Amino acid sequence: MAGAVTSIKDIDSSSPIVTARNVTKIYKRGSEPGLIGRILGRSEPPTVHAVDSVSLEISSGEIVGLAGSSGSGKSTLLHLLSGLEQPTAGTVSFQGTDLTTLSARERTRHRLENIGIVFQRFHLLDSLSARANVALPLVELGVPKSERRKRATELLERIGLEDRITHRPGELSGGEQQRVAIARALITDPALVIADEPTGELDTETGRTILEEFKQVAENRTIVLASHDQETLEICDRVIQLRDGAIANRRTQEIRP
Amino acid sequence: MTLLAGAGIGVLETGEQGFDAAERDLWVTSGETRITSAGGGGFENTLYNSRNLSAEMEAHEDVQHAIPLAFDTVYVSTNHSDEFHTFVATGVPGGGPVVQITEGEGIQGDTHYANGTYEGEMTREVVIDKETADSLNISTGDTVNIGGSLAAARQNQFTIVGISPTFERMLGTPTVTMPLSELHQVTGTTQTEPATFITITIEDGASVNTVQKDLEEAYPEYEIRTNQEQLSAVLQEQVLLLAAAGALVLLAIGSGIALTISLLSLVIHQQRQTFAALTAQGISRSLLVSTVIGQGFIIGLIGGAIGILLTVPAVSIFNRLAAAIVGFEGLLQTAPWIYGTGLGIAVVVGTIAAATAGWRISRTPPLELLH
Repeated sequence: MAGAVTSIKDIDSSSPIVTARNVTKIYKRGSEPGLIGRILGRSEPPTVHAVDSVSLEISSGEIVGLAGSSGSGKSTLLHLLSGLEQPTAGTVSFQGTDLTTLSARERTRHRLENIGIVFQRFHLLDSLSARANVALPLVELGVPKSERRKRATELLERIGLEDRITHRPGELSGGEQQRVAIARALITDPALVIADEPTGELDTETGRTILEEFKQVAENRTIVLASHDQETLEICDRVIQLRDGAIANRRTQEIRP
Repeated sequence: MTLLAGAGIGVLETGEQGFDAAERDLWVTSGETRITSAGGGGFENTLYNSRNLSAEMEAHEDVQHAIPLAFDTVYVSTNHSDEFHTFVATGVPGGGPVVQITEGEGIQGDTHYANGTYEGEMTREVVIDKETADSLNISTGDTVNIGGSLAAARQNQFTIVGISPTFERMLGTPTVTMPLSELHQVTGTTQTEPATFITITIEDGASVNTVQKDLEEAYPEYEIRTNQEQLSAVLQEQVLLLAAAGALVLLAIGSGIALTISLLSLVIHQQRQTFAALTAQGISRSLLVSTVIGQGFIIGLIGGAIGILLTVPAVSIFNRLAAAIVGFEGLLQTAPWIYGTGLGIAVVVGTIAAATAGWRISRTPPLELLH
């Protein structure tokens, strides 16, 4: 797993798919004081720098890991890179488009068309079959039903669920449900896939298998993966270590030969 | 809800059938036709001097028969027991086709009332219903003591000559049917000759409305009604009963709606993180709400269908219980439109509740639910 330690500037930035410049995300703990609160001298709520002046570039086809302990800012950085959240300061660009200038509706459309998301929990609709769950984003894109079924079936077959296509989530194991969730994230053929603790709900062996399948089925797509588990991060080309919302030592670690 | 609606419809239908089964065209009453709370049930006897009055009405050229009918509470004991039970006794001037006999014979006339006096010989014959026979362990040929008071009951013995369900069905309670004059005799009311109704059968081809109008003009102090009007009058005077029944139906609908909304809100609430995850992936609110509405529609449809499927055996069980306990057959009557309405309400409420819950969740920022 050992590899050469490189500076972030060493990464090929000729075709960055995502670029973050001095991104900061500050949360307030508690509510703002109202007018009466101000008159009574109530102070502003304390703030937390969930992400603190992070700059990075992620090239097309890279598998990048975000490592760090709980509360280090991994998930918040994923949300910022995908446009789920807006930074308090700094900019996030996706293929040259500054996401901070987009409206909420435009960012939603951007995520639908360009980004696949895999969560720690599978978040499948219990009332729908595996195939219908996978095909749901295509409904939003207006893809005809026959085409949706064809593409969802092919993807489920590729991920080894050919005999579980019509099963509902309640009839699937945890590993199978996560495979369905991965297929749902990939069904729109996104340029970037983000995964937040994708094996967090699975046992070690199943998690390792799922990750290998994820990597294969993702086929050279750009993946940003957040995990505190070193074994999970082994599939990454490089790992960015976060501590207290900032990149630790502003270094990345080369893992994949 | 379908059961309660079926009960409401059944009560009305059974009541109407009861009046229709009597095969009378007009009903004459004096004042309100109250269901009495005394004894085992029945109506209050508020129409006095009934024999003379019915004779006068029968004199109308289009009236075939005018027959007084009385319901009174009496004490009944069997000859092998000193224990007295209260029953509703029905006094009829004679037998005939109005009293349906399923076993034995009917009453053979009203000989005790002869030429305006009560000096004729008493037949001392009664007809009882099957439930009375079963509860007292008696049958045709046995004797019973009947009277308006315990003392009168001890002195008046009657022979059971037949079994009839007619008045048990009409009143919904076990009854003893006997000649009218003998009922007046054993209840000590020969002086006033009270009756609950005078029932009128008109001549073939005569107009019910014309006869009704003539009698109303001749006897303005009495109410003269058709079968349907008489049933309505009886029910309208039971305002509390109807209000309670209406409240029960409203309560059933209200609680059904509340339960459906709660259930669907819970179902949707349990999926809130999934919806948040889908929103994060770019699924629009409209598609999410559509998905939720689809779930609500299906849940409402399945729930409504299960409710209808359960209603069928439940109606059968309740009807058997009602027939065994109070004597009414077909008390719960579920017309197809009741099933349709029940299913419609389930589907509509399910869909609306799901849409409301889905809309609320779709308005919540996904990260608030995913954190």
